[in-house]
Amino acid sequence: MSAESQTFTERYDLLGCIQCGRCTGGCPVTVRANLNVRRFVNDAYYEEKLDELARQAEIWDCTACHTCAVRCPKGLKPLEVLLGLRAMIIESGKVEPTVRDALQSVLLEGNPWEKSRAARSDWMEGLDVKIAEPGVPVENLFFVCCTIAYDPRVQAIAKNIVRLLNKTGVDYAFLDDSETCCGSEVYTLGEEGLFEMLVEDNTEYFNEYSAKRIVTLSPHCFTTYNVHYPDLNKPVIHYTQLLDELLKEGKLVWKGDLPKKIVFHDPCYLGKQGGVYDEPRDLLKSIPGAELLEFERCRERSLCCEGGGGKMWVESESKKERLAETRIKDAKALGADIVAVACPFCVLTLEDAMKGLGYEEEMRVAEIMELLGEFIEA
Amino acid sequence: MKTIVCIKYVPDTSEAEVKVNPDGITVDSSRFSFDINDADNYAVEESVLIKEAKGGEITVVSIGPKKSDVMIRMAMAKGCDKAVRIEDDRIAGHDPLMVAKVLAGAAKGEEFDLVLTGCMASDDGHMSTGVALAEELGVNHASMVKKIEVLDGGKIKVSRELEGGLMEVVELELPAVITIQTGINEPRYAPIRGIREAQKKELKVVKLDDLGVDPASVGPDASQIILEALYIPEVESSAEFIAGDPNEKAEKLASILVKGGLI
Amino acid sequence: MGNVLVLAEHRQGVLRDISFEMLAVAPKLAADMGGEAMVLLIGSSMDDMAKKAAGYGVKVMVVDDPLFKDFNADKYQKVLSALIDDLKPAVVITGHTAQGVDFMPALAVEKKLPLIAEVIGLEYAGGTLKATRQLYSGKVNATLAFKPADTYLVTFREGAVEAPAPSSAGTVEKLDSPLKEDLPYRKFVEYIESEVGDVDITQSNILVAIGRGLKEDKNLPLIEELAKAIKADIAGSRAAIDAGWIPHDRQVGTSGKSVKPKLYIAMGISGAFQHIAGIKGAKTVVAINKDPDAPIFAVADYAIVDDMFKIIPKLTEKLKELKG
Repeated sequence: MSAESQTFTERYDLLGCIQCGRCTGGCPVTVRANLNVRRFVNDAYYEEKLDELARQAEIWDCTACHTCAVRCPKGLKPLEVLLGLRAMIIESGKVEPTVRDALQSVLLEGNPWEKSRAARSDWMEGLDVKIAEPGVPVENLFFVCCTIAYDPRVQAIAKNIVRLLNKTGVDYAFLDDSETCCGSEVYTLGEEGLFEMLVEDNTEYFNEYSAKRIVTLSPHCFTTYNVHYPDLNKPVIHYTQLLDELLKEGKLVWKGDLPKKIVFHDPCYLGKQGGVYDEPRDLLKSIPGAELLEFERCRERSLCCEGGGGKMWVESESKKERLAETRIKDAKALGADIVAVACPFCVLTLEDAMKGLGYEEEMRVAEIMELLGEFIEA
Repeated sequence: MKTIVCIKYVPDTSEAEVKVNPDGITVDSSRFSFDINDADNYAVEESVLIKEAKGGEITVVSIGPKKSDVMIRMAMAKGCDKAVRIEDDRIAGHDPLMVAKVLAGAAKGEEFDLVLTGCMASDDGHMSTGVALAEELGVNHASMVKKIEVLDGGKIKVSRELEGGLMEVVELELPAVITIQTGINEPRYAPIRGIREAQKKELKVVKLDDLGVDPASVGPDASQIILEALYIPEVESSAEFIAGDPNEKAEKLASILVKGGLI
Repeated sequence: MGNVLVLAEHRQGVLRDISFEMLAVAPKLAADMGGEAMVLLIGSSMDDMAKKAAGYGVKVMVVDDPLFKDFNADKYQKVLSALIDDLKPAVVITGHTAQGVDFMPALAVEKKLPLIAEVIGLEYAGGTLKATRQLYSGKVNATLAFKPADTYLVTFREGAVEAPAPSSAGTVEKLDSPLKEDLPYRKFVEYIESEVGDVDITQSNILVAIGRGLKEDKNLPLIEELAKAIKADIAGSRAAIDAGWIPHDRQVGTSGKSVKPKLYIAMGISGAFQHIAGIKGAKTVVAINKDPDAPIFAVADYAIVDDMFKIIPKLTEKLKELKG
């Protein structure tokens, strides 16, 4: 058990649960895995059962998409019971080596990808990027995210934002390599102590900057800062919100056109958890020639891609179709040319699924900023 | 069982570009990330597994800078009980025989049945320190160990990993120094709460003089080898693309693999 | 006299390759130092091996006694310690192997002699013996010089040089064993062969890794044949595991395993960042992919841009031929 004095029941308000089953009923993972979140909420009430529950492999199948929380009529967050059980395993130290290495890398290097902190801003090379300094006023302080900073597949998100900002004359600055993981995946992997440390250190770090607001590139950072950082002294928005403002002010002018059918996949951490639905759509619609389609399961009903909840480091045993594959098949059935997303994890999972299905020739997965990057005037 | 586990704080250079400093004998480590040496991490886990099974106490010994304390605290979070960190710039670190003398100085101040350490450091890779340490201490040893069984009567049975996956099983009388090969176990995670708890455990920071080791006996003058130069070898900077039609490509690759001793 | 004493290595009745590789270095070094290269064999019933070693035109000395039936680091140390006193060699070279590393550092401490380990080159000039070795998994080379000493100790890396061809017949001389009785404190128990079918890819020496490019499981035998020819284990990217081509525990990458083989052959793997993270420890990476922009090429040492199915059959055939 964690060091908290609260019991499990108090902590997760287990007595508030009416066992209606809407959580499990809506859980997207149930089609692949044996996870029944309602049962965990029920059984966790018995303190003596906790150790056994924590050892169930299914607790690692949860992607923390928050569908259960969105659907709960009592306003509970059933998934957090699973995260609490994960925390018990983490405290014992006996975790999968992949999880161990990711968490240790966050502690030592500030990112879960086992990359050197010194390399965090290498993506900026060759770009004219304004760097923030504590105390120097700036309107928009950008937070890049570990995955975008280090994974070459999604670095274009950050690079294109910089090109666009330089073009529009927006007052902005990026953090240097002192930027540290927001802890989104640390939280969902159940490393409570490390997450508390990140919240404390990052809050202190951000509060030293005289920025009007923080702009994140990943929805995971966006939601994590908004939900779990109570003492941040500035608001946090997602970059699609900033760009939508610029669009409305007439500051975004695109060069060329894209006569393609685009379907937007709502990232769980931007939509269900962040309430941002329209801004990314408006941005896509602003591309000349683009036709925006909608998934049948869109907005708060959007299907999870299984990229969150620490799943980048925990592979499912399930041999059944990945949710990302289901999503890509749906897109294909709609006749979409492009599946647009606004999250680095969604790019990785959906693109992987698209390649796995052999649709590379006819379809493309792209982050919104990757698409917009092609239309920035030189 | 009283165990000493010797660990080293090393840079991870697997992906980093390595540059030699203008002095020609050191490398620029400013962009490296540092962590416990891989094999030493397994040694720590093995010491904790033995303690969990047989009881006892584990002392961490390490030569390194202040910033390596986080590595030591992590070992403590996993179950090590106390630590000695030697911070002294008079040690000829390029010579494992000198390093072994320093570690022996630290070990002599402790009671022990077993000394565990990684079989190899990932930075300089001599694979010499542990076996030299055993001789300095006048105790038995076995290197590259992939399995330890504690037997009755002050003995252990260990399996040494030989080339080609063969295991050599050896019985030793304790006390002994065992150098641990990676893969002997699955090192656990050190949760932050454990690391915080471990701040309460004793970590002594000492100099050579505190250990009764004469600095002149482990310094560059005492070492019988001189590091003359470091340089970047002119190979493997980037991929060699093999050209030709498919058959030619296959043949060329086959001969590269065979001639290069890669298979 | 600048004699160079090479300790030939053998196991289960067979001389290991490193024994001959050291003979590519020792004779020239001995000549430069004004002495000759000699081979030492320690073991039991060594006649055949002694004869074979002598076929490289060197003097072979044999310590032949049932006490040395199985390798024992402490016994080897005792023999070498005594022979260094008797023969006063200028250099003693052993393999940087599970045998060499198990006693050479102890010998160095005992005899107060300098040791340089895992050497890939030796040069004697102007009265100084210098050794080349590698640091940071081969990213940096180091030149080290021995200060003057009666005997220099060296362990030599396996596969660093090519073994010479046998030449003229040398001589074989039996030496008295300096060890008269067994040692009570270290006993050889047995050899255990690694279990087959129970592969731990984190311990594999050579890995043949497959990805999405395999397309379907009926192509798997091609890969298996290649793997068998070069004694490799088969691993794969997440795509290969997902497709059910290979078991879950063979997955390489952030959600699978980190591997550290000597050779990693990636076939039809594009090299997502999450896969590449798992092969950081690989010494040499070969990549075959039809996409010239596949990120796997950024971490490859040898690259072929082509359809893997056009390459593999010929590659397997050629490798079989070259390996004899």
